Amino acid sequence: MEEKIIKAADVRQEKGLMLNVENLSISFGGLKAVENFHMQIKKHELYGLIGPNGAGKTTVFNLLTGVYKPDTGSILLDGENITGKHTIDINHAGIARTFQNIRLFGNLSVLDNVKAGLHAHYVYGTVSGIFRTPKFYKMERAMNEKAMEILKVFDLDEAASYKASQLPYGRQRKLEIARALATEPKLLLLDEPAAGMNPQETQELMDTIRFVRDSFDMTILLIEHDMKLVSGICEELTVLNFGQVLCSGATKEVLNNPEVIKAYLGD
Amino acid sequence: MKIKNKTFRQNAITYAMVLLFYLICQGLIMSGNMSSLMKGLMVPICYYVILAVSLNLVVGISGELSLGHAGFMCIGAYSSAIFAVCVDGKIPEMAELLLALVIGAAVTAVFGFLIGIPVLRLRGDYLAIVTLAFGEIIKNVVNAVYVGVDENGLHFSMKDSLSLGLSENGIEIINGAQGISGLPRTATFTTGIILVFITLFIVLNLVNSRQGRAIMAIRDNRIAAESIGLSVSKYKMMAFVISAALAGVAGVLYSHNLSTLQATSKNFGYNQSIMILVFVVLGGIGNIRGSVIAAFILTILPEKLRFLSDYRMLIYAIVLITMMLFNSAPKAIAWRKSIKERFFSGKKAEAGKEAQ
Repeated sequence: MEEKIIKAADVRQEKGLMLNVENLSISFGGLKAVENFHMQIKKHELYGLIGPNGAGKTTVFNLLTGVYKPDTGSILLDGENITGKHTIDINHAGIARTFQNIRLFGNLSVLDNVKAGLHAHYVYGTVSGIFRTPKFYKMERAMNEKAMEILKVFDLDEAASYKASQLPYGRQRKLEIARALATEPKLLLLDEPAAGMNPQETQELMDTIRFVRDSFDMTILLIEHDMKLVSGICEELTVLNFGQVLCSGATKEVLNNPEVIKAYLGD
Repeated sequence: MKIKNKTFRQNAITYAMVLLFYLICQGLIMSGNMSSLMKGLMVPICYYVILAVSLNLVVGISGELSLGHAGFMCIGAYSSAIFAVCVDGKIPEMAELLLALVIGAAVTAVFGFLIGIPVLRLRGDYLAIVTLAFGEIIKNVVNAVYVGVDENGLHFSMKDSLSLGLSENGIEIINGAQGISGLPRTATFTTGIILVFITLFIVLNLVNSRQGRAIMAIRDNRIAAESIGLSVSKYKMMAFVISAALAGVAGVLYSHNLSTLQATSKNFGYNQSIMILVFVVLGGIGNIRGSVIAAFILTILPEKLRFLSDYRMLIYAIVLITMMLFNSAPKAIAWRKSIKERFFSGKKAEAGKEAQ
């Protein structure tokens, strides 16, 4: 009886968690890229993953999104086990991401990039698409409206007809976030969203990320090197060093932790 | 929406161009101003346009270099020719052609799917080499097959026509390298143009739909496409199979334009595949209208240059190079842009004057 109650409590606690990663490891040959990684992200949280170069942050992202299959460990997304699933299924389960080196559909228009993200939510068949049935027009119209709505959030609505590759760097990053959001994820992973941005752009980006979190009711996990951005918006942090978790907790405490400072600045 | 109108206008121009070409040619034929040589080229122009447009779906839209397109054309031609011989005289001509088109497209689509399973796991050069090999295999297998039909049903053999063991009133359908003879020549310029329209309709509408967007997204960035939940294998296969089926349609048109069908290296060999690729590359990769124009010009050119006799292929090569430079050289693109801008700004200035 008692056991049951404890289990029920566990479930309830788990329900509050958007992402629960435990004991995650992967090695490439003899190199242990990520070892015994763990992380708990609550719903609606802005979570940061930081660490020196080569610590394995992007590898963690690739593990979470199914690009790599973990050797050990488990990943629970909103209570659902997504460990070892394919990237496509993980996206359908509710994780969308951006990339450190921007990966847009360069030859498609800005609008089409977002519409590609809407793919799974506005469905019509191939035959319907070729023969232009009423369903095609209905869905395309709804798609256009939704895509423009998302683009407006990122101030990209006026550039909708441009090729994605024609956009300046900072706006390409924004478009990538817009495209990821279009898949209606539960959890959004941002891989160095502020890389290559000037201070003013970074400030804008911080506002946008906060706005996205609040208006889309999103949980966000981001990798970042820009400490101003991290301390500005992240509520909790996990620090990764040489593939292992150095420490995790509330942002202020973590950033004042002497071990973290040592990992970043050396002895 | 502005963007939608733009693609609509572009597609309308393409359709109008084909229609205009049809009307001009039809006018020339009616008034008796077209030589019999040119008349004979009308159906080939149609199937080359279909081949170029369908290959562009794989090479340009899906971004995979496929060199086996003539092989798919061969499957379409042979499957429809077998059907034509089997039903010869039993059903009306138009019905026969219509059914042959459906059968040709369906059989080629099935082969496209089967070949696509191993081939689409590869990328880039490897995919090109394997598709090239498949094209050659298809041609050579077809050359070695003997098929006959009698009251007991179909007979197959890989040895010779005698080992088919046909009864007295059986007919040989495929006679090895000698191919299929006694075909009805039912393909006309008009049916060809209708098929061109259907091909354009399918390809252009596919490109501007949810599926086409997914195909192009995968072409532009495979990893990002997977990260937003697009199934790479599904959409690559879709482009490949539709392209194969359309090549099959071109094959049906080809076989119904001849009385004897043989698979030689000239019509279904890799030279033909490369030729179709040349149409696509010269017309602009991913540019459907360009494929139509290039296929048309390059089919008609060798005939038009016939008066040059010995220098014919030399001039042909020069024209190819010039077209390529005009299409792709950065200087030529800049020059075309400046001409376009001058033209458009002139228009705008005039519009401004009128407003005043």
